[in-house]
This record gives sequence, structure tokens and C-alpha cells, in this order.
Amino acid sequence: MSTTRSLRDVQVWMVGAITGKDADANAKDVEKYVTASARLSAAGRFDVYRSGYHARLYECLLDDYPVLAAILSRLDSGEDDQFAALCRAYVDRHPSASPNLNGFGRHMPAFCREVKLERFPGFDALRVFASELAALEWALVEVLHAETAPPLEIAALQALPPEAWAGARFIKSEGLRVFRFEYPVNAVFIANRIDEIVPEVPAPSPNAIAVYRKDMLLWRMELTPAMLGVLEPLLAGKSLGEALATIEAEVTDPEVLAQTGANLMVWFREWVDAGFFTRIELADAKA
Amino acid sequence: MNRFSLPNLGIGLGLRTVHYAHILEHNPAVEWFEILSENYMQTKGRPLHFLDRVAERYPIAMHGVSLSIGGTDPLDRAYLAELEALRNRTKALWVSDHLCWTGVAGKNTHDLLPMPYTEESLRHTAARIRQVQDVLGAPLALENPSTYVEHVGNTMKEWDFLAALASEADCALLLDVNNVYVSAYNHGFDAADYFAAIPFDRVVQLHVSGHTNHGTHIVDTHIGPVIDPVWELLGEAYRKTNASILLEWDAEIPSFEETHADALRAKDFLVAKAGA
Repeated sequence: MSTTRSLRDVQVWMVGAITGKDADANAKDVEKYVTASARLSAAGRFDVYRSGYHARLYECLLDDYPVLAAILSRLDSGEDDQFAALCRAYVDRHPSASPNLNGFGRHMPAFCREVKLERFPGFDALRVFASELAALEWALVEVLHAETAPPLEIAALQALPPEAWAGARFIKSEGLRVFRFEYPVNAVFIANRIDEIVPEVPAPSPNAIAVYRKDMLLWRMELTPAMLGVLEPLLAGKSLGEALATIEAEVTDPEVLAQTGANLMVWFREWVDAGFFTRIELADAKA
Repeated sequence: MNRFSLPNLGIGLGLRTVHYAHILEHNPAVEWFEILSENYMQTKGRPLHFLDRVAERYPIAMHGVSLSIGGTDPLDRAYLAELEALRNRTKALWVSDHLCWTGVAGKNTHDLLPMPYTEESLRHTAARIRQVQDVLGAPLALENPSTYVEHVGNTMKEWDFLAALASEADCALLLDVNNVYVSAYNHGFDAADYFAAIPFDRVVQLHVSGHTNHGTHIVDTHIGPVIDPVWELLGEAYRKTNASILLEWDAEIPSFEETHADALRAKDFLVAKAGA
């Protein structure tokens, strides 16, 4: 038995025996690297690190995705529920390469759309819902960590001369995310986090949500199709005039058009009050 | 006083998210806060907002878990730059991390993995500590870890390794008395041997915490109350160092009032010890 392995060799073996799909096979060499204690075998001692690795990253994903965890954990009982299985597959597919765990869970929405959970074939029917719920929960994490910039003041909106509105571009806050979802994931989120129940997986029902931060608190705002019709082009960098022209050209639903005409200023006040924008850029100046 | 002239700040508490609101609303009489450095890195948002307000009111020390000082991947310069920026932002009085490594080949386990205690490890780690201290412009305080395995190739005891490392790198030490107790139990050594080797003039901070005893081994969980033998080790270490003390509580974190009450118990214990 060699006792002169390099530090690098020891570290490569140890990480290989703790992480990844080959960890079990690699750990079979444990006695070549680790001594037994009076109470535990070498493998028993080393298991503290092996089990700790998955437990730590599972805890991280549980922190980021509490509602997804509540729903998937309920679907199968036993020693490994769907959320645990999802996390184990996630950790193998996306091991952390970062000094901290703030961004560790960022792949989960995409991962839910592609992962095959062998023990849980029923996950295939849930993957769009799971992905959208994960996207909502991850948005809350991202918005929490987004750069803090002073929001656009209502006074700046009020000071905008009527002739400047059409050319105005509203610069998006870093702490704003807008989604179109097929499933009512915000209602599921509310049911779990506020009403403290674990709801059934709902039927599809298209909807849109804004996730944002105001006064260091995280909020969600449901958006109607008419609101979305204005907001999405603005967030894509179009001027208000361009956004409204798009609506006139593309929207055929008279109710949406009527809502837009009647409520545009009310929406702007809500959005500015919520801190959706940081400033207004005019065609030849900045406000 | 330690050889680095770093002050005894008294009894501190770990700054935890669940306590932000209480701290900012009530301004509790805490002598200082220790922050987990990585909680305030790779973020531009709410964590820094609250940290700035706490740092305006209380002295701060930074404690990290991802420096990977014993790792064989190159030192992460971006991480070091962010660490230094955070130190400037908080005016932290010192920066600490662990005698460990956290990953290799770009993969981070987010665990404090045990070093082989060999001459190669010693030279390698000392050189990296010096590099980190050059970036920080200040001594790094290195904490003794809780460990659950010993490497086959070890050629020296942890306490001898730590003492030699501190001397070679001219770094400070953060002595975690619970970690000494945990490792002594797990590896069957006497904590007195550990204490006999530690250069206490390099110890700038003490950690004390609870742990979880599984019978066959103890895990450093930072859960629950501190047991009497660990309090005894704290008393002995404090007599030798007069260093700042931090009560760690990282899981199943109780209310602020409870954690603060625990910290005050630590103070009572030290006062009683001093009078004994």
C-alpha cells in the first residue's frame, strides 16, 4: 500500500469518491487512502463526507425550491421521493464549480424539462408544470440578489411632457422578471407559502407574472394579457410609441385594446410604484 | 494580546438572515458579529443591503468556507478579489477560513475536506497562505477543522501540522475548541496534546458551538447547546489567549433572543472562570 501519493492525487481520488455517478465505484478504494478508527471502518468514516455532500446540496435546492419540493415530495412516499430523486440527478448533472451556492440552483427550470427520473416515470407528465414552478421560485432568488438601483420616481413620470411619451424608453430594473406560464404556478405558490397547503398539480391555465423587489421585499404581480402587451415590448427596449404601435398592429381582441386605452396610465403608476423601471430615456436625452 | 495586536472584541454572534430584522429594529447589545463571507459574495442585492446596516453599527469579522487554502487547483483570484472588496466594505477586523480544501479540478464539494498532514501539504499550504495574505494585506486567521477521517499517508499530527504551518506562513489562528473536541473523539487523541502544541500567541479568535454525537463519531453540526467539556476547553483557551469569542449556531437556528442568551451564558462562564 503506497503512502506517498501526491496531495493532488489524494484530492482527485477523494472528490471522485464523494461526487458524481462513479463515486460508489471510486470509494471502493477507501482503505488505500483513509484509516479506520477504533469505532468505525475507513468506509464508515468516509461516509460522513459522502452523505454530507448530497445532503448539503439537497438543502440548498430545498431552500431555493420549497414549493416544488412540497409538491413533488408528496407524490411518492418512501425513502426517496421525487424531489429527492430530482435533486440527486441535478447534483450529478450540475455539480457546483463556484465558491458559493447562491447560483447553484439556476439550472433547475431547464433541468426539469429534460431530466429522466428512472424511478419516477410519472415525472414526464409534470415536467412543464415543474419547470414553470421552478422558474418562478428561481426568479425570487435572482431578484433577491439583483443589483440595488434607485427606482424611477413617480415625479419623473409626472414631469414627462405629453409630446415625449411616444419616444420614451423605460429602463428595466435588474430586480424585475416577467414570465408567461402555461400553468397557474403563482396560485400554487400562494397556496403553499401563504395558505400552508400542498395543492394538487393544477390544469393548464395560461397566465403571466411579474416578480420584483420593492423596499428589499420580494413581490409577485399577476399581469393581464393587456398589461403584458404593453410591458413586454417596453422591457425588450422599445419606446412606448413602438409598443403601442405593435399592439395596434397585432392585437385583434377588442377587449384587450379597450383595456389598454383605458388603463395605460394606471398601469404605469403601478409599475413605477413597484420599481419596475430605473429611469426614462428619451430620444435625445435621459430623464 | 496576540502577536498581531488584534483586539479582544468580546463575545460575538454569527450574523444570520433570520435575525436581520430583529437586529436592525432592536440594536441588541452584541459586541460584534461574524459574517459568513460567502453569503455576501456573488450578490448585489438584499444580503449586502442588510450587511451594510449591521456593519454601520457593530464590529465585523469575516469567516469563510471556500478559500480552499489546501487545494491543489490554482487560488481563485476572482474569489480573493471579492473577499478583499468585502473586507473593505465591512471594515472587517480580520478574515478567517479553515485549514482544509473544498474541491479539485474545478468541482466544489462545499465541504471542509481534511488535509493530509505531510511535508508536501505543509509547504503547499504555507505558500498559498502567504499569497492570500499578500492580497489581503493582513494576516489570515486559519481555523482548525473538525475532521472525520485521517489520511493513510499522514506523517504528522494535526496540532503539529497547524503549529508548523502558522510559523511557516506567519498567519493567525482561529481556534475552534469544539472542533478540537470533535476531532479528539473521532480520532482518539487527547485535547491536552492539541493545546500543548498550539502557539496561543497567534490565536486571534475562538469558536465554540454544539455538535451531534452519533456514538461512533461526532459531527460538527453547530446545533444545540454547548456541552460542559467543550465549555471547559473554551475556558482553558481563553485563559491562554484572551481572544474574541464567537458562539456558532448554523442549523435549526433559534430566535435571536435565544442565541444571544447563549452568548451571554458564555460571558458568564468566562467571568466565573476568571474569578475561580
